[in-house]
Amino acid sequence: MASSSDKLDRRQFVGNGVRIAGAIGLGGFVGFLAGRRGSADDTVWQIDPNKCIACGNCATYCVLDESAAKCVHSYPMCGYCELCTGYFEPDPNDLNSGAENQLCPTGAIVRKFVEEPYHEYSIDEALCIGCAKCVKGCNAFGNGSLYMQVRHDRCLNCNECAIAVACPSQAFVRVPASNPYLLKHKGTGA
Amino acid sequence: MIGIAVVLAVAIGAVAVSRVPRSGDAGSGLPQRFDYDLKTHKTIDPALILYRQAGELPLDLSASRAVAVGPEDRIYVAGDQKILVFDREGTRRSEIALESEPRCLAVGGAGNKEPGRIYVGMRDHVEVYGPDGTRQAVWERLGEKAVLTSIAVADSADEHDIFAADAGHRVVHRYDPSGKRLAEIGRRNREQKIRGFIIPSPYFDLAVTADGLLRVVNPGMHRIEAYTFDGHFEEPLVWGKASLEIEGFCGCCNPANMAAMPGGGYVTAEKGIPRVKIYGADGNFVGVVAGPDVLAPTATITEETREDHKLEVVDVAADSRGRILVLDPAARKVRIFVARNPQMETKS
Repeated sequence: MASSSDKLDRRQFVGNGVRIAGAIGLGGFVGFLAGRRGSADDTVWQIDPNKCIACGNCATYCVLDESAAKCVHSYPMCGYCELCTGYFEPDPNDLNSGAENQLCPTGAIVRKFVEEPYHEYSIDEALCIGCAKCVKGCNAFGNGSLYMQVRHDRCLNCNECAIAVACPSQAFVRVPASNPYLLKHKGTGA
Repeated sequence: MIGIAVVLAVAIGAVAVSRVPRSGDAGSGLPQRFDYDLKTHKTIDPALILYRQAGELPLDLSASRAVAVGPEDRIYVAGDQKILVFDREGTRRSEIALESEPRCLAVGGAGNKEPGRIYVGMRDHVEVYGPDGTRQAVWERLGEKAVLTSIAVADSADEHDIFAADAGHRVVHRYDPSGKRLAEIGRRNREQKIRGFIIPSPYFDLAVTADGLLRVVNPGMHRIEAYTFDGHFEEPLVWGKASLEIEGFCGCCNPANMAAMPGGGYVTAEKGIPRVKIYGADGNFVGVVAGPDVLAPTATITEETREDHKLEVVDVAADSRGRILVLDPAARKVRIFVARNPQMETKS
């Protein structure tokens, strides 16, 4: 049987309650902050192809000497055109791989014969400077299968991405590191 | 002392922030000669523009797909889930509700066994409507891969067959008026010198011409091919070439759309650089109906990369008077062009 001295008066009871509630609240707040920080660390920069206007800034604003933003190719969307407007100058002399006919300033697109009249186009990423000229050419007449993406084997994932700051169409977005690419798919328009 | 340090820090911060490039106008940093620029190719010699816009039909369609001409030069426009019917003067006469989104249409002409019968191409099948708008038939589905992009009707005394261009299967289907599929036309065949239709994007048009042949656009080859209704390839009658010059078809795959002119000849529509042009019956370039200055709402839209900002492709038709009807989905209207020289309308 408890003595009368062991009993809490109302003031003590309320005081203890406030202290416990404060401790729980503080713990919850710290946990919330820790959780937020964790999710922030788990995102990376990426280019939304539906917002990208192929301005060319990716080639010049990246802090790396060689931009981490590269052209990539959606093969399911590609028409495998003989006259690929992402590969050839607007009015080429001939449909061959002569440098004067190529749109890419660094020759980073490889044209490979598949079968008459189809050709496959692939990006040599070591040569691609991210100028997006081919993206413009492909979109102007074709299906838009060439588009820009940040390549995560190169990107430093800067806190403030210099290209994102300079991007005129706000195409640079944070995406989950577990799903770091915004890929175009046939028929989605994305 | 602390105050001076704070002011200095704020000043340094302000300078640093102001130096961060926010306009982003450096571009690729490449010399100007590397710019992707179609400006010179979008300019058309005014002397080549042989038509002027004489009227227009406003459309309450968010996605208009096709325009066609029927008996008495009635104008039919397919889009959203309906068909709008206008008389030759442009007065709206009726509206036909559809159950799904149309992609193309054709109307039996005055010479047809059933004038005014409307053939509507859905993605994978054809639906038939009577002149009063009642649905008469739904033809067989052509499978998951099918993408119907154009329909044409033969209107001669003894031929009333219907031809549907299927961009998914890269063939033309021939139907009889009851909807029975009779044959496929244009499948690759080395012996018959048919290279097959090269269709990089879903634009694949056809027309029945006054000489009783089927003319089919082979967009990846930048040419118009001729076939008999039985599918025989008429190689000598092929015409068209790839070029950014006004006489040719630009880009990877053009023309996107085509229609037969009443007195022979063709009207073509290109995507990429929007150009509507007239060719003679032998495929010789005649002149321009309209170019980017009319069909592109902004100077830079042809270089647009964002899907939802891109310029939509125009469709074309011609009526018995030689007027050219240009369906302009971006402007939500049918533009009606007439020849500057009235003799043109019967000559081409």
